[in-house]
Amino acid sequence: MYHALLTNRYLTSRVIPLIAVAAVALCVALVIIVVSVMTGFLNMVRDSGRTLMGDVVISYPVTGIPHYERLIEQIEELPEAEAATPVVDSWGLLKMPYPDGANKDTETVQIWGIEPDSFAKVTGYTDTLYWRPPAEQQLKTMADDDPRRQMDEQVFLDGLTLHDSRSDRAGIVLGIHISIGNDRQSDGSIRPARNGYWWMPQWEVTLTTLPIATGGGLLEPESRIFPVVNEFFSGVFLIDDKRAMIPLEIAQRMLHLNEGEIVDEEQLDDDGLPKVIGVDPAKATMVLVRAAEGVEPDELREQLVGVYDAFRAQLLEDNNALVKPPPQGMGLSIKTWEQQQADFIEPIEKERELMRTLFSLVYLVCAGLVLAIFWAIVYEKTRDIGILRSIGASRFGISWIFLRYGLVIGIAGALVGVGLAYLVVRNINTIHSAMGDPPMWLAIIMLGLALVAIALTIYHGRRGALMPITLGLLVSMTLIGTGAVILVLKDRGGVVIWDPSVYYFTTIPNEMDTGTAIFTMIGAVIFSLIGAFLPAAKAADTDPVRALHYE
Amino acid sequence: MHKTYRLGRVDVPVLKGATLHVKPGEWVAILGPSGSGKSTLLHLLGDLDQPDADGGEVLFDGRSLASMSRRARNLYRNRSVGFVFQFYHLLPELNILENTLLPALVGLHRWEYYRRIGQLRQRATQLLESFGLGHRLKHRSRELSGGERQRVAIARALMNNPKVLLADEPTGNLDEATGAEILDLIVQQHRDGLTVVMVTHDPAIAERADRIVHLHDGRIAE
Ligand SMILES: Nc1ncnc2c1ncn2[C@@H]1O[C@H](COP(=O)(O)OP(=O)(O)OP(=O)(O)O)[C@@H](O)[C@H]1O
Ligand SMILES: [Mg+2]
Repeated sequence: MYHALLTNRYLTSRVIPLIAVAAVALCVALVIIVVSVMTGFLNMVRDSGRTLMGDVVISYPVTGIPHYERLIEQIEELPEAEAATPVVDSWGLLKMPYPDGANKDTETVQIWGIEPDSFAKVTGYTDTLYWRPPAEQQLKTMADDDPRRQMDEQVFLDGLTLHDSRSDRAGIVLGIHISIGNDRQSDGSIRPARNGYWWMPQWEVTLTTLPIATGGGLLEPESRIFPVVNEFFSGVFLIDDKRAMIPLEIAQRMLHLNEGEIVDEEQLDDDGLPKVIGVDPAKATMVLVRAAEGVEPDELREQLVGVYDAFRAQLLEDNNALVKPPPQGMGLSIKTWEQQQADFIEPIEKERELMRTLFSLVYLVCAGLVLAIFWAIVYEKTRDIGILRSIGASRFGISWIFLRYGLVIGIAGALVGVGLAYLVVRNINTIHSAMGDPPMWLAIIMLGLALVAIALTIYHGRRGALMPITLGLLVSMTLIGTGAVILVLKDRGGVVIWDPSVYYFTTIPNEMDTGTAIFTMIGAVIFSLIGAFLPAAKAADTDPVRALHYE
Repeated sequence: MHKTYRLGRVDVPVLKGATLHVKPGEWVAILGPSGSGKSTLLHLLGDLDQPDADGGEVLFDGRSLASMSRRARNLYRNRSVGFVFQFYHLLPELNILENTLLPALVGLHRWEYYRRIGQLRQRATQLLESFGLGHRLKHRSRELSGGERQRVAIARALMNNPKVLLADEPTGNLDEATGAEILDLIVQQHRDGLTVVMVTHDPAIAERADRIVHLHDGRIAE
C-alpha cells in the first residue's frame, strides 16, 4: 500500500526520474521512427509494384512475344488470373514544348505502349492519373488555389483512353516529373510553373523512337507529334521521372512491332514484287498479369509457366504460324514483381534487420540508465529503507517500491516515446521539407529566447551563485547554436536527406509500424524493470540498523 | 543476550550476557556511557537486529522472536512495538499526516486500508492534535523544528497502538526545555498504560522512569 505513495513521491519530487523517462522515451522513439520508415519504404516498394506492373510480368524485350493476344486469352482462362494486358516498351526521345523559342528541351523517356482498358484492370493506372476533378474527401484538404479544383472531367477521361477529344487524335500521358514545369509543393501537390502556363495537357510533344530490325540493326528513326492529354503520378520517382504512355498500336507501329507481311525475296508475284508467303504477327514486349483476389503472386507465376509452355507448344505445331514464340529462359522471363525487384528489396530488408538489431542495443542503454539512476536513488534513500523496515515493512515490500518505480518509468517512457514517434513519423514529410527550407521564424524565436535566457541569467546570477550562471549559459548557448544552425541551413539552401532520385519515392513513408511500436514498448518496460532489479535487491538487503546509523 | 560485531577480522563484543525483564506497563530507563551498547540492545528488542547465534533471545509475551516467521516479525515491528529515534527519522517526501499514517499503510492490505481510512486518518489527526501539531498536517518535516519532528515521530510510533515504546535517546538532540516537553508526552502515554523502554545517558532524564538499569561492560546492572 505504501509502495504506490512512495513511488509517486520519489518520482515527482526530483528531476532524475524525469530524465530517466525522457531517456527511455527517446530510445523508444528512435527505434520506432527508424524501423517505421524502413518498413514503410518496403511496403511502398511492394505496393508500387502492383500499381505499376500488376503481380507477374512475362517479358521478352526488344523483339517481343508474337501471338500475344492468344497468350492473353489463355491466361485469362486461369482462375488464378484476374486480368492480363500487353505492353510494348522501349526508349525514346521527347521534344518538350519549352522553353519558348527554337531550342526545345529534349528528355529521354521510357515509352510504354498500352491498351488503356485492360491496362487499367491490371495496374493502378486509373488512380495514378493526376489531372482530374477532386473527389469529395480530397476537397477538404486541397488548397483553395489548387488547379485541380477547376479541372474538367474530360481531361481525366482523355487520360484514361489516351485520346485527345479536342483534336480527335491519339494522345500521350507523361510521368508527372518529366516536365520541369511541374513544381512539387510542400503538401505534395503539383503546380505547373508560371501560373499554369506550363500545364502540360495543353501542349504537344514530339516523340522519336529508334526501331530495331529483327536482325538487331537500327532502322530509320520514327517521329510523331502527340498532344499531351494527362499526366500520371505514381509516387515512384524513377517512374514518374521517365515513363510516358501512348496507345499500343501506335507504339507497335513506331517500333515496327506491328503486324506485317513476310516475303520471299527469291520469288516474285504477278506484279513483279517479292512474294508474300505469310503474316508477321504483332508483338508485345511484356504481358502484365494481375492475380485474382487472394492469390499470391508466386502461385500465379507457377500457373503462368505452364500456360506459356502450352501456348508455345500449340504454336510450334501450327504450320500457319511462321513466327514462333521463344522458349522460356532465352531472354523470356516470367517473374513476380518481387523477383523483378529482388536486387532492390533484399538489401533493404537486410538493412532493416540490421537496424533492428543495432537499435536493440539501445535497450541496454535504457536498462543501464535506469540501473544507474535507481542505484543512486537507493543509495540516497537508504535511511528511508531503514525507517520502513523498523516500522514493519518486509524485504519484498521494500524491493517492490523500486521495481514498481522501474515499471512506472518504463511504462511512462514507452508511452511518451510512442507518442513522440507517432508525431515525428506522421509529420516526417513536413519536418523534412522544413529542413530543406528552414523557416525563418524558428530562427528568430530561438534567438529571441536566447536573449530572454541571457537576461534571466544576468538577473539570477547577479549574486554570483554558479548554478544559475552555468545553467543560463548552457541554455542560451544551445538556443543561439540552434538559431545559428537554422540560419546557416537557410543560407545554404537547407538539407535534403530524402533525395527522391536516390530513395525512389517522392514522399517519405509516414505510417507508424504498429508491430515494432508494440515490441519496442514491451522491450523498454522489460529492460527498465531489469535495470531496477539490482537496485531493488540492494534495497531489500539493506541492514536496517546500518541504514539508520546513516545521517 | 550476547551481541558481537565483526569489524574486519576483529570481533567486537558489545553485549556480553545482558538480561532485562520489562513488565507490562512499566517504564524502564537504560543508562550507560556512549558506546556501551544501549542502542544495540534496543535494536535487538525491536527486532531491527538479532542476537548472536546461541546468544540468547528476545521474548515478547512469552514468545521468542527467533521462533517467529518473517511475516510474524514484520507484524511484531509494525503492531507490537513503536520505535522513536534520536534523529527523528521522518520520511522527507511525505507530509506530517502521511508520516504518522505510515505504520498503518505498511501494515494493512490495500483494501483493508481503504476500508478503514476514515478511522485511521482520525486516529493520526487526533494524535497530532494532542501533540499540538493539528495545524501542520500538510507540512513536510523539513519545515518543522527538532522538537516538532520528534513529536511527529512519537505520533508515528503510537499510530498502531503498540504495547511497547522503544525510545533511543528521544531528547538527545533537543535543548532542555523541548526535551522536557517530549518527556512529558511520554509520561502522558505511560500513564495511559504504555510500556516504555528508554535509552539515555542523562541521569536526570532517567529519573522520570519507574526503574533505572545501567548497561556496563555489556551487562545490565540495576
Ligand atoms: N553495525 C555495527 N558494526 C560494527 N560495530 C557497531 C555497529 N553498531 C554498533 N557498533 C559498535 O557497537 C558499540 C556499541 O554501539 P551502540 O550504538 O549500541 O552504543 P550506544 O551505547 O548506543 O552509544 P551512544 O550513547 O553513543 O549512542 C560501539 O562501539 C559501536 O562502534
Ligand atoms: Mg546509541
